Amino acid sequence: CKKDLVEKDKSQFVKSNYFTTASQARTFVTGIYQKLYMFQNGDAYGESPFITMELFAGHATSLGQSVNNNNVINNRTDAVNPGFEDVWQNSYNAISNANIALANIPGITPFADADKKALLGEAYFLRAFFYYHLVRLYGDVPLITTPVTISSPDLYPSRAATSAVYDQIISDLKAAEASGLPETDATGKVSLGAVRTLLASVYLTTAGYPLQKTANYALAAAEVQPVLSDYSLFDKYDYLHDTPHKNQQELIFQSNYLVGVATNAITQLTVPFNLLVGVYGDHLGAMIPTNAFVASYEAGDLRTQERQFYFSSYPQNGNPSVILQFGEHALYKYFHVESALGNGQCDENWTFLRLPEAQLIYAEATNEVSGPTADAYTQINKIRARAKLAPLAGLTKDQFRAAIWKERYHELAYENKAYFDIQRTHQIYDVINNTFGDATTTKNEQNVTMKAQYYLWPIPQREISTNSKLTQNTGW
Amino acid sequence: KTYSQVVTLHQKNASVEKVLRSIEKQTGYHFMYDKQDVSKASAINIEVAGVSLEQALDQAFKDQPLTYKIFQETIVVKKKDEAATVTMANIKVSGTVSDAKGPLPGVSVRIKGSDVGTQTDATGKYTLNVPEKGTLVFSFIGYTTQEVAVGGRTTLDVTLVENPKALSEVVVIGYGTSKRVDLTGSVGSVSGKQLQDRPQTNLEQELSGKIAGVNVSTNSGAPGGATKIRIRGYSSINTNTDPLYVVDGVVWTEGGNSINPNDIETIDVLKDASSTAIYGTRGANGVILVTTKRGKKGGTVSYDSYVAINHMAKELPVLNSKEFMEVEDISYANIKKYDPTGWAAGNYATRDPKLQRTALIGKLFDQNLNPLYDVDWQKATTRTSVSQNHNLAFTGGSDNINYGLFLNYSDDEGIILNSYLKRYNVRLTFDNQIKPWLKVGATLNYNNQDKRTADDGTGGNNIPRMLIEMVPFIPIKYPDGTYGKRTDYPNLEGGDNPVAQANEIESLYKTRVFSGNGYANINILPGLDFRSVLGVTTSANYNPHFQSGLVGGASASQTYSSASIDEANNTYWQWDNYATYNKTFNKVHSLNVVAGYEKTGFQQTGVYASTSNLSDNYYQYYNLGAGSIPGIPKSNYLAYQFESIFGRINYAYDDKYLLTVTGRRDGSSRFGTNVKNGFFPSAAIAWRASQEDFLKNNKTLSDLKFRLSYGLTGNSEIGSYQSLAQINTVNYVFNGAQAIGTQQATIGNEDLSWEKTAEYDLGVSFGLFNNRITVDADAYLKKTKELLLNAPLPETSGFNSVYKNIGRLQNKGIELTINTINVKTNNFTWNSSFNISFLKNKVLQLGASNDDIFLSPTFLSQFNLMRVGLPAGSFYGYKVLGTWGTAEATQAAAFGKLPGDLKIQDTNGDGKITSADKVVLGKSLPDGYGTFSNTFKYKAIDLGVDLQFNYGNQIMNLTRHSGQDRTGQANSYATVLNAWTPTNQNTSIAEDRPAYVYYQTEIYSTKVESGSFIRGRAVTLGYTFPESITKKIKLSRLRIYLQAQNLFVITKYTGYDPEVSTYNNNTAITQGTQGQNNTSNFTQGIQFYDYPKPRTFLFGLNASF
Repeated sequence: CKKDLVEKDKSQFVKSNYFTTASQARTFVTGIYQKLYMFQNGDAYGESPFITMELFAGHATSLGQSVNNNNVINNRTDAVNPGFEDVWQNSYNAISNANIALANIPGITPFADADKKALLGEAYFLRAFFYYHLVRLYGDVPLITTPVTISSPDLYPSRAATSAVYDQIISDLKAAEASGLPETDATGKVSLGAVRTLLASVYLTTAGYPLQKTANYALAAAEVQPVLSDYSLFDKYDYLHDTPHKNQQELIFQSNYLVGVATNAITQLTVPFNLLVGVYGDHLGAMIPTNAFVASYEAGDLRTQERQFYFSSYPQNGNPSVILQFGEHALYKYFHVESALGNGQCDENWTFLRLPEAQLIYAEATNEVSGPTADAYTQINKIRARAKLAPLAGLTKDQFRAAIWKERYHELAYENKAYFDIQRTHQIYDVINNTFGDATTTKNEQNVTMKAQYYLWPIPQREISTNSKLTQNTGW
Repeated sequence: KTYSQVVTLHQKNASVEKVLRSIEKQTGYHFMYDKQDVSKASAINIEVAGVSLEQALDQAFKDQPLTYKIFQETIVVKKKDEAATVTMANIKVSGTVSDAKGPLPGVSVRIKGSDVGTQTDATGKYTLNVPEKGTLVFSFIGYTTQEVAVGGRTTLDVTLVENPKALSEVVVIGYGTSKRVDLTGSVGSVSGKQLQDRPQTNLEQELSGKIAGVNVSTNSGAPGGATKIRIRGYSSINTNTDPLYVVDGVVWTEGGNSINPNDIETIDVLKDASSTAIYGTRGANGVILVTTKRGKKGGTVSYDSYVAINHMAKELPVLNSKEFMEVEDISYANIKKYDPTGWAAGNYATRDPKLQRTALIGKLFDQNLNPLYDVDWQKATTRTSVSQNHNLAFTGGSDNINYGLFLNYSDDEGIILNSYLKRYNVRLTFDNQIKPWLKVGATLNYNNQDKRTADDGTGGNNIPRMLIEMVPFIPIKYPDGTYGKRTDYPNLEGGDNPVAQANEIESLYKTRVFSGNGYANINILPGLDFRSVLGVTTSANYNPHFQSGLVGGASASQTYSSASIDEANNTYWQWDNYATYNKTFNKVHSLNVVAGYEKTGFQQTGVYASTSNLSDNYYQYYNLGAGSIPGIPKSNYLAYQFESIFGRINYAYDDKYLLTVTGRRDGSSRFGTNVKNGFFPSAAIAWRASQEDFLKNNKTLSDLKFRLSYGLTGNSEIGSYQSLAQINTVNYVFNGAQAIGTQQATIGNEDLSWEKTAEYDLGVSFGLFNNRITVDADAYLKKTKELLLNAPLPETSGFNSVYKNIGRLQNKGIELTINTINVKTNNFTWNSSFNISFLKNKVLQLGASNDDIFLSPTFLSQFNLMRVGLPAGSFYGYKVLGTWGTAEATQAAAFGKLPGDLKIQDTNGDGKITSADKVVLGKSLPDGYGTFSNTFKYKAIDLGVDLQFNYGNQIMNLTRHSGQDRTGQANSYATVLNAWTPTNQNTSIAEDRPAYVYYQTEIYSTKVESGSFIRGRAVTLGYTFPESITKKIKLSRLRIYLQAQNLFVITKYTGYDPEVSTYNNNTAITQGTQGQNNTSNFTQGIQFYDYPKPRTFLFGLNASF
């Protein structure tokens, strides 16, 4: 009778009958990439992780209806804010699938060694990528590197020390680096360039707070150097957010979207509130740069010209003779012209790593090791040249550091870098006075002074409730 | 039902009386005869097995000078030639009517075939002028009506026999039937006649209020609207708590809407575990046994029909154009108070309403900026609708064969434009006694339902939401014929006007259910029957959806058009084989044993395809190839099976002491490989105290019975494959093309098993004054353990939750039903029926550490709380104490608030408002509910009044979030006119300000409202035409009636109707795993814009010939 009572699920595999072919392995690793979409998870209120991370940096307003966004901006959010759980849950889900891949793929035969190694390299990179986000956002986090089953001790884990998590990240990225991945990849998969840039970023971060392993500055510079020549800057900022240039030239690592398969609400979320600049169903105004931030660019910076990084007016959709004046600067950087004027289905890619970040990591790390070198100037001045700004020269180490930090803010604006910079430097960019100040005593342009507890996100309340071994971050 | 009882006789040279006694014993029928007539009969030789009553009698009287006639449960045996002679001379007849205990006063004595009659006096005496050859009819409530031929006699004393109906009422129980008096468990029954009195479009609504302990909520005013049945509370959190439906012995997988209520002969609801344990893993939520009508000897044609007019029962006050603009102006002006920095920086200059309006002069406003339109959207989108329902039934048969053909057409129009539910139903039944030992029968049923909904998509800007939130100064259509849209005015959020949605969005649900079952009944030995039943149900669900390009965006464009088809095909089969043995030993030990084997299987295949950007609206969903952006096609498969053995022993001693023992062993494919089989036992005892000698002759207490039962039942409704570690497909993009990925979606739990519910039931029933008052009371305690809990997992595992057998839940309650015959005279009767159910639910244990669990829906925050010690489905949020007054500016500032902001209770007193300050605000489960029905009959007129009541529950009115907390970007409830202003500070509505500046919205106590109500559910006025008229038009029965449904609701609740839930998942067609992970049972009373309820006036007709 027992055999009779088995029903096979003909539409889905189960774990026990999977991982038998190389193609299943490839498909499973592709499944990990899908979790990169989590940064664009969101709702009609504009509570999306890519926005939440930016609101922590203090240079954006949210005109939408989101009470949670307002709470973040005003430093009164708490551990039940669903955004915190969103990132936590999806990151660990990706890590779980990476662990399953890393545990099961090696045993698959036949599977050409080189291909298998490269595929595992992608999985290592992705696991590191998600742990890197977790350790920066939540501090000490549970470190799980093997598949979890209902009976495994890892089901209820404790938090691991930040340094241990970084050790794992570095070890994973080194494994990825040695896996034979191509230098660049225009299809959207992990490339060697992506591995190196991410590892350099890890080194730069670990050289700052909280670990302050300053020896890692040199590692960062060395790691990222090959990337500088493998990639090249676009001629036009438009290419950062259009369809033909996805995964090309300066774009090192992106999550990939395609109408009909996966779309996002990046544009809907970043256009001004309820102004019909596109054909979209909603115009949510959930992340709008502060005027003070836009004003902090040097005079003549191309990036602040209309429709470069920002825009403040646009023809009304369906009625182009009416020019909508926003009364603010919205992010043209994320304006997806194809869908705004076309079918309203936004499939622009979301960029995690691009060349200017690699260049600025190189410049900053080099400066910390040996002061402003010619190579360091070369890298930052390439970015400035594209922005039609005069090259930098003759700065002290401290001046050069500040210049690089500013450049990070201005070039990588609203790309989810600023909050992490605050964490590792403990400085915020005082855009009104154009200086850097201590993060917890310097007011931002929205009149908010960051509380010390905001260096980290809280462990999501749901997670604390479910796993008694977890402790909460200080202040939350 | 009693007609289907079979008779087995093996008699040689028996007297007529002996034969008749034997039949009495087997069937529960009673015989009346004149001993003189019978004494002339010769000895009878008869050898029949498993034949019908009529067959047995025909056979027995074949060579005898006797004939018979069946009156209800009484069979009158007479001399063959008696009926032939009739003369018409009147004589005066008098006599005494008595029963076994003495003279009976108030007995109706009537001349047959006329309205002439009288009643017996206090000593049971009567006098009446009667035709010499006439017949007198003696009737009295609780007694069998007797007809006695006068036969020239002037003195006629009659002894009435207590109505065997009360004693022989047969109820359907699992795999068999039982006399109600022999029941040891708790079973509620509704007859087809009761159903006919208050016609409803579906079975669940029909059941509403009929049986204590059976709670039916009609949660939407949509045609066939979402109903939820809960029998004795909620015994599960995450798994299905719908009762098991069994139609004619076969499990019904297609829901109550697929059954034509008019086809129902009786509904029996098994409530306690001793009754449901025979259904094993599927019995925990109670079992609803539906017995459908079948053919009858003779020939009858009947036609039942009604036409109904529905209109919206209640309109909610919202802002009109002028009020909306005033509120908008106030809100805008308040920005400088709530965002002084931004105001000073000029950030809001472009959003000045005056500026916006000026730009729209000629389109929406006149030169003085007054609105050109003022639309009442609730009126504009609803209609007075007309519904109709027609049933035509043909039944007939001869001694051995009977058949029935039942046809139904119903068209239920919704009160929201274009919504409807249409049903066509055909049913054919057939029964044949082929051999004395073999009876076979079959039922074929075809059901076709077409539904168009108007309330899909809770949370979005769907029609019910836009009834409230569409702004009044935008027109339905502009003079040029284009639809008015909310985005036509710049400050407003997106969303189409509800009339446009009703016209341009088609959400159709087309279901074709074909079901059939056949049985063979073999009489093996006297008392031993074997029955085999095979049932198959297939359903084809075709759910197309189309949205034209005229809605969906800021202006008409094919960009917004989309079409999809969701299709699922289900097949369910069930094969039962069981034997029944029935025997009485030594006249006092009666035994009924059932034992059997059952196997069932279910399979579903589904397919979904969608597209958007249709090249032309012409194609609708008929040509998905006409869309330029197709979605990724999907298909799914699921299957499950059960294999079971079951048995039951009923033993009765001397009709006084009753014992039932049942057991079922169930195996299910749904569970982990480690635990596929479970055993579910039950036992019950009953004592018919009124049969004891010391009560037998008690004139007051006519019936008294005590019942006590215990049983264990299960619940396996978690969908298929939940025990497995599933690898699901997902989509990613590489190189600008779709790339398939896979992810492990569930952690897998090979120990997954069913949840177990243990239930104790203590019941008492008694009748007073010849059962003029009957009372049925039950107390139960139901403990569910090893809950199939979708238990939260630490998300560090990569998984959110897992189905685990963990946690305990308790329901206890008291059910009381009182039926009284208040007045009973010749012309006038008044019957009352009152039932009330008290319910208490408590969570006893959750997960490993008893941590709180929050169930869906999550709206604003997690509020649907499961906490140990509280009733399941408690509401959790902030308590609002009012608003901060101008005098409290300093205290408000301590919380970062201004006068005009909401004052939230700082529960823990730490000086700030955090989630730690949340408190329990209410619960969705009522303390009690019930029905009070009264039926009055005066001559041919009948009047029924049904009141429904419910108290002690709360409703989470989430619409206050968008309809009251925020203003300016959608229309609001008129309550915002009472918002805080410096001159109106005593309010709990915060000062108006645009939502984009900083408004307060959370789960507040101000969103929680009392859900208590009294509803005038149905008032029916009927007239049955007298025989004198019906005979002339060749009808045997003709009744017409007028009915008002949902006539009034007395409640404090401010929404459309306190019976509400908008999170029903009622449109999901896949029965299995899809989506079920995130659902819970505790969505009752949680409301976010519902389909308004109609008030219905109905004209109906019942005719038969």
